[in-house]
Amino acid sequence: MAIMRRKKRASGEIPTSSMADIAFLLLIFFLTTTVFDEEKGLSIVLPEAAETVAVPQKNILHMVVRPDGLVEVKRGESPQVQTVRYNEIEQIWRFEASRNPNLIAAVKTDPTASYRHMINVLDELQVAGAERISLQLLEAGQ
Amino acid sequence: MIRGSGLERKSKASSEIPSSSLADMAFLLLIFFMVSTTFRKEQKRDVVIPEAEATQKLDEPRKYVLHLYVERDGSVYINDRHVPIDQVSAVVGPLYEQSDRRLVVNLRADRDVSYQVVDMVQKELQEARAVRVTFYTNLESRVTRERR
Repeated sequence: MAIMRRKKRASGEIPTSSMADIAFLLLIFFLTTTVFDEEKGLSIVLPEAAETVAVPQKNILHMVVRPDGLVEVKRGESPQVQTVRYNEIEQIWRFEASRNPNLIAAVKTDPTASYRHMINVLDELQVAGAERISLQLLEAGQ
Repeated sequence: MIRGSGLERKSKASSEIPSSSLADMAFLLLIFFMVSTTFRKEQKRDVVIPEAEATQKLDEPRKYVLHLYVERDGSVYINDRHVPIDQVSAVVGPLYEQSDRRLVVNLRADRDVSYQVVDMVQKELQEARAVRVTFYTNLESRVTRERR
Protein backbone atom coordinates (compact mmCIF):
# COMPACT_ATOMS: atom_id res chain seq x y z
CA MET A 1 0.00 0.00 0.00
CA ALA A 2 2.82 2.34 0.73
CA ILE A 3 4.05 2.01 -2.81
CA MET A 4 0.69 2.95 -4.29
CA ARG A 5 0.54 6.19 -2.36
CA ARG A 6 1.58 9.51 -3.90
CA LYS A 7 1.85 8.19 -7.35
CA LYS A 8 0.16 11.24 -8.85
CA ARG A 9 1.74 14.38 -7.59
CA ALA A 10 0.07 17.64 -8.68
CA SER A 11 2.41 20.21 -10.09
CA GLY A 12 2.85 23.19 -7.80
CA GLU A 13 2.96 25.70 -10.66
CA ILE A 14 0.18 27.39 -12.56
CA PRO A 15 0.42 26.46 -16.23
CA THR A 16 1.47 29.61 -18.06
CA SER A 17 2.03 28.26 -21.52
CA SER A 18 -1.55 29.07 -22.60
CA MET A 19 -1.52 32.53 -21.07
CA ALA A 20 -0.79 34.24 -24.39
CA ASP A 21 -3.62 32.39 -26.03
CA ILE A 22 -6.05 33.49 -23.34
CA ALA A 23 -4.86 37.06 -23.54
CA PHE A 24 -5.14 37.19 -27.31
CA LEU A 25 -8.58 35.62 -27.14
CA LEU A 26 -9.76 38.37 -24.81
CA LEU A 27 -8.04 41.00 -26.94
CA ILE A 28 -9.73 39.83 -30.12
CA PHE A 29 -13.07 39.57 -28.34
CA PHE A 30 -12.89 43.19 -27.20
CA LEU A 31 -11.60 44.40 -30.55
CA THR A 32 -14.46 42.84 -32.45
CA THR A 33 -17.24 43.76 -30.03
CA THR A 34 -16.28 47.42 -29.68
CA VAL A 35 -18.43 49.71 -31.79
CA PHE A 36 -17.40 53.29 -32.09
CA ASP A 37 -20.24 55.74 -31.83
CA GLU A 38 -19.08 58.41 -34.20
CA GLU A 39 -20.68 61.74 -34.66
CA LYS A 40 -21.98 62.13 -38.17
CA GLY A 41 -24.83 63.64 -40.09
CA LEU A 42 -25.90 66.58 -42.17
CA SER A 43 -24.63 69.80 -40.64
CA ILE A 44 -26.47 73.05 -40.92
CA VAL A 45 -26.26 76.39 -39.19
CA LEU A 46 -29.60 77.82 -38.17
CA PRO A 47 -30.13 81.56 -38.49
CA GLU A 48 -29.86 83.58 -35.29
CA ALA A 49 -33.17 84.26 -33.61
CA ALA A 50 -33.65 87.86 -34.78
CA GLU A 51 -31.74 87.50 -38.00
CA THR A 52 -33.78 88.21 -41.08
CA VAL A 53 -32.12 89.00 -44.35
CA ALA A 54 -34.10 90.32 -47.25
CA VAL A 55 -33.27 88.30 -50.33
CA PRO A 56 -34.45 89.21 -53.80
CA GLN A 57 -36.95 86.72 -55.11
CA LYS A 58 -34.82 85.92 -58.13
CA ASN A 59 -32.13 84.47 -55.86
CA ILE A 60 -34.46 81.98 -54.20
CA LEU A 61 -35.31 78.49 -55.29
CA HIS A 62 -38.47 77.54 -53.44
CA MET A 63 -39.09 73.93 -52.57
CA VAL A 64 -42.20 72.71 -50.82
CA VAL A 65 -42.04 69.23 -49.34
CA ARG A 66 -45.46 67.65 -49.42
CA PRO A 67 -46.69 64.98 -46.97
CA ASP A 68 -46.45 62.33 -49.73
CA GLY A 69 -42.75 63.10 -50.21
CA LEU A 70 -43.05 64.83 -53.56
CA VAL A 71 -41.47 68.23 -53.90
CA GLU A 72 -42.93 71.32 -55.55
CA VAL A 73 -40.17 73.43 -57.04
CA LYS A 74 -40.75 77.09 -57.83
CA ARG A 75 -38.04 79.25 -59.31
CA GLY A 76 -37.91 82.70 -57.78
CA GLU A 77 -40.43 85.01 -59.34
CA SER A 78 -41.86 82.66 -61.91
CA PRO A 79 -45.32 81.42 -60.90
CA GLN A 80 -44.68 78.07 -62.54
CA VAL A 81 -44.64 75.13 -60.14
CA GLN A 82 -42.93 71.89 -61.04
CA THR A 83 -43.66 68.76 -58.99
CA VAL A 84 -40.73 66.39 -58.87
CA ARG A 85 -39.43 63.41 -56.96
CA TYR A 86 -36.70 64.29 -54.53
CA ASN A 87 -33.96 62.53 -56.50
CA GLU A 88 -34.36 65.04 -59.33
CA ILE A 89 -33.48 67.93 -57.05
CA GLU A 90 -29.74 67.47 -57.34
CA GLN A 91 -29.85 68.10 -61.10
CA ILE A 92 -32.27 70.99 -60.76
CA TRP A 93 -30.04 72.64 -58.19
CA ARG A 94 -26.86 72.14 -60.24
CA PHE A 95 -28.55 73.62 -63.28
CA GLU A 96 -30.03 76.60 -61.46
CA ALA A 97 -26.87 77.28 -59.42
CA SER A 98 -24.76 77.34 -62.58
CA ARG A 99 -26.96 80.13 -63.90
CA ASN A 100 -27.13 82.06 -60.63
CA PRO A 101 -24.27 81.59 -58.13
CA ASN A 102 -26.12 83.57 -55.43
CA LEU A 103 -29.00 81.13 -55.32
CA ILE A 104 -30.50 80.25 -51.95
CA ALA A 105 -32.49 77.10 -51.34
CA ALA A 106 -35.67 77.68 -49.33
CA VAL A 107 -37.08 74.37 -48.19
CA LYS A 108 -40.57 74.58 -46.76
CA THR A 109 -41.90 71.40 -45.26
CA ASP A 110 -45.52 70.59 -44.61
CA PRO A 111 -46.12 70.15 -40.84
CA THR A 112 -47.56 66.69 -41.38
CA ALA A 113 -44.76 65.50 -43.66
CA SER A 114 -42.25 62.99 -42.34
CA TYR A 115 -38.87 64.22 -41.15
CA ARG A 116 -37.42 61.67 -43.60
CA HIS A 117 -38.72 63.60 -46.62
CA MET A 118 -37.07 66.80 -45.47
CA ILE A 119 -33.80 64.91 -44.90
CA ASN A 120 -34.01 63.51 -48.44
CA VAL A 121 -34.31 67.00 -49.90
CA LEU A 122 -31.57 68.39 -47.65
CA ASP A 123 -29.37 65.45 -48.63
CA GLU A 124 -29.87 66.14 -52.34
CA LEU A 125 -29.04 69.80 -51.86
CA GLN A 126 -25.88 69.02 -49.91
CA VAL A 127 -24.81 66.46 -52.51
CA ALA A 128 -25.31 69.11 -55.17
CA GLY A 129 -23.06 71.44 -53.18
CA ALA A 130 -25.66 73.92 -51.97
CA GLU A 131 -24.38 75.95 -49.04
CA ARG A 132 -27.10 78.46 -48.40
CA ILE A 133 -30.11 76.49 -47.31
CA SER A 134 -33.08 77.76 -45.36
CA LEU A 135 -35.38 75.32 -43.58
CA GLN A 136 -38.87 76.48 -42.82
CA LEU A 137 -42.25 75.16 -41.86
CA LEU A 138 -44.94 75.49 -44.48
CA GLU A 139 -47.50 77.84 -43.00
CA ALA A 140 -51.16 77.18 -43.65
CA GLY A 141 -52.44 78.83 -46.80
CA GLN A 142 -49.08 79.10 -48.54
CA MET B 1 36.92 37.01 -45.50
CA ILE B 2 37.98 33.59 -46.55
CA ARG B 3 35.35 31.01 -46.05
CA GLY B 4 36.00 28.60 -43.26
CA SER B 5 38.57 30.84 -41.64
CA GLY B 6 37.17 30.14 -38.21
CA LEU B 7 36.13 33.73 -37.52
CA GLU B 8 32.84 33.19 -39.24
CA ARG B 9 29.60 32.39 -37.40
CA LYS B 10 30.91 32.98 -34.00
CA SER B 11 27.60 34.29 -32.69
CA LYS B 12 24.81 32.18 -34.01
CA ALA B 13 21.37 33.80 -33.99
CA SER B 14 18.61 31.66 -32.70
CA SER B 15 16.28 30.58 -35.46
CA GLU B 16 13.22 30.76 -33.20
CA ILE B 17 11.04 33.77 -32.54
CA PRO B 18 11.19 34.64 -28.85
CA SER B 19 7.73 33.85 -27.53
CA SER B 20 8.27 34.24 -23.83
CA SER B 21 7.10 37.88 -23.87
CA LEU B 22 4.07 37.15 -26.03
CA ALA B 23 1.72 37.07 -23.06
CA ASP B 24 3.08 40.38 -21.81
CA MET B 25 2.50 42.02 -25.13
CA ALA B 26 -1.00 40.64 -25.39
CA PHE B 27 -1.91 41.84 -21.91
CA LEU B 28 -0.40 45.22 -22.63
CA LEU B 29 -2.60 45.61 -25.70
CA LEU B 30 -5.60 44.29 -23.80
CA ILE B 31 -5.13 46.75 -20.96
CA PHE B 32 -4.55 49.60 -23.42
CA PHE B 33 -7.83 48.93 -25.21
CA MET B 34 -9.73 48.42 -21.97
CA VAL B 35 -8.49 51.73 -20.59
CA SER B 36 -8.98 53.74 -23.76
CA THR B 37 -12.50 52.49 -24.46
CA THR B 38 -15.19 54.88 -23.37
CA PHE B 39 -18.66 53.53 -22.98
CA ARG B 40 -21.62 55.57 -24.04
CA LYS B 41 -23.34 57.21 -21.17
CA GLU B 42 -26.81 57.33 -22.62
CA GLN B 43 -29.06 54.41 -22.98
CA LYS B 44 -30.32 53.38 -26.38
CA ARG B 45 -33.43 55.08 -27.64
CA ASP B 46 -35.93 53.59 -30.00
CA VAL B 47 -35.17 55.90 -32.90
CA VAL B 48 -34.93 54.87 -36.55
CA ILE B 49 -32.30 57.06 -38.11
CA PRO B 50 -32.89 58.38 -41.65
CA GLU B 51 -30.34 57.74 -44.36
CA ALA B 52 -28.52 60.33 -46.41
CA GLU B 53 -25.86 60.20 -49.06
CA ALA B 54 -24.19 63.44 -48.00
CA THR B 55 -23.55 62.16 -44.45
CA GLN B 56 -20.31 63.57 -43.14
CA LYS B 57 -18.26 62.87 -40.12
CA LEU B 58 -18.34 65.56 -37.50
CA ASP B 59 -14.90 66.56 -36.25
CA GLU B 60 -16.00 68.09 -33.00
CA PRO B 61 -14.68 67.00 -29.59
CA ARG B 62 -17.22 64.80 -27.90
CA LYS B 63 -17.65 67.12 -24.97
CA TYR B 64 -19.05 69.81 -27.24
CA VAL B 65 -21.68 67.58 -28.78
CA LEU B 66 -25.13 67.37 -27.27
CA HIS B 67 -27.37 64.52 -28.31
CA LEU B 68 -31.00 65.39 -28.66
CA TYR B 69 -33.34 62.51 -29.33
CA VAL B 70 -36.77 62.91 -30.87
CA GLU B 71 -38.80 59.75 -30.73
CA ARG B 72 -41.53 58.75 -33.11
CA ASP B 73 -44.29 59.96 -30.80
CA GLY B 74 -42.64 63.40 -30.68
CA SER B 75 -41.15 63.12 -27.19
CA VAL B 76 -37.77 64.78 -26.75
CA TYR B 77 -34.93 63.37 -24.66
CA ILE B 78 -31.76 65.19 -23.62
CA ASN B 79 -29.17 63.31 -21.54
CA ASP B 80 -31.61 60.47 -20.82
CA ARG B 81 -34.15 62.88 -19.48
CA HIS B 82 -37.54 63.51 -20.99
CA VAL B 83 -37.87 67.21 -21.76
CA PRO B 84 -41.19 68.82 -22.72
CA ILE B 85 -40.73 70.38 -26.13
CA ASP B 86 -41.28 73.95 -24.90
CA GLN B 87 -38.59 73.46 -22.24
CA VAL B 88 -35.84 72.53 -24.71
CA SER B 89 -34.36 76.04 -24.90
CA ALA B 90 -34.33 76.28 -21.09
CA VAL B 91 -32.28 73.07 -20.93
CA VAL B 92 -29.99 73.72 -23.90
CA GLY B 93 -29.36 77.39 -23.08
CA PRO B 94 -27.21 76.85 -19.94
CA LEU B 95 -25.37 73.95 -21.59
CA TYR B 96 -24.56 76.20 -24.52
CA GLU B 97 -23.14 78.89 -22.25
CA GLN B 98 -21.09 76.31 -20.31
CA SER B 99 -19.50 75.04 -23.50
CA ASP B 100 -18.03 78.46 -24.44
CA ARG B 101 -20.60 78.67 -27.24
CA ARG B 102 -19.05 75.78 -29.05
CA LEU B 103 -21.94 73.42 -28.56
CA VAL B 104 -23.11 71.41 -31.54
CA VAL B 105 -26.51 69.82 -31.23
CA ASN B 106 -26.75 66.40 -32.77
CA LEU B 107 -30.42 65.96 -33.54
CA ARG B 108 -31.30 62.29 -33.61
CA ALA B 109 -34.86 62.31 -34.77
CA ASP B 110 -36.90 59.35 -35.90
CA ARG B 111 -37.36 59.27 -39.65
CA ASP B 112 -41.14 59.08 -39.35
CA VAL B 113 -41.66 61.89 -36.90
CA SER B 114 -43.70 64.73 -38.38
CA TYR B 115 -41.73 67.78 -39.45
CA GLN B 116 -43.78 70.02 -37.20
CA VAL B 117 -42.01 68.56 -34.15
CA VAL B 118 -38.57 68.97 -35.73
CA ASP B 119 -39.38 72.57 -36.57
CA MET B 120 -40.45 73.26 -32.98
CA VAL B 121 -37.15 71.80 -31.75
CA GLN B 122 -35.23 73.97 -34.22
CA LYS B 123 -37.04 77.08 -33.02
CA GLU B 124 -36.23 76.17 -29.40
CA LEU B 125 -32.55 75.73 -30.31
CA GLN B 126 -32.54 79.10 -32.06
CA GLU B 127 -33.95 80.61 -28.90
CA ALA B 128 -31.13 79.02 -26.91
CA ARG B 129 -28.75 80.40 -29.59
CA ALA B 130 -27.36 76.93 -30.25
CA VAL B 131 -27.45 77.40 -34.00
CA ARG B 132 -24.98 74.73 -35.03
CA VAL B 133 -27.11 71.69 -35.64
CA THR B 134 -26.38 68.32 -37.18
CA PHE B 135 -29.14 66.09 -38.39
CA TYR B 136 -27.90 62.63 -37.48
CA THR B 137 -28.09 60.34 -40.50
CA ASN B 138 -26.64 57.05 -41.59
CA LEU B 139 -24.53 56.98 -44.70
CA GLU B 140 -26.42 55.77 -47.72
CA SER B 141 -24.69 54.41 -50.78
CA ARG B 142 -25.73 55.58 -54.20
CA VAL B 143 -26.66 52.05 -55.23
CA THR B 144 -29.38 51.69 -52.59
CA ARG B 145 -30.51 55.18 -53.36
CA GLU B 146 -31.11 54.52 -57.04
CA ARG B 147 -33.19 51.48 -56.20
CA ARG B 148 -35.75 53.37 -54.16
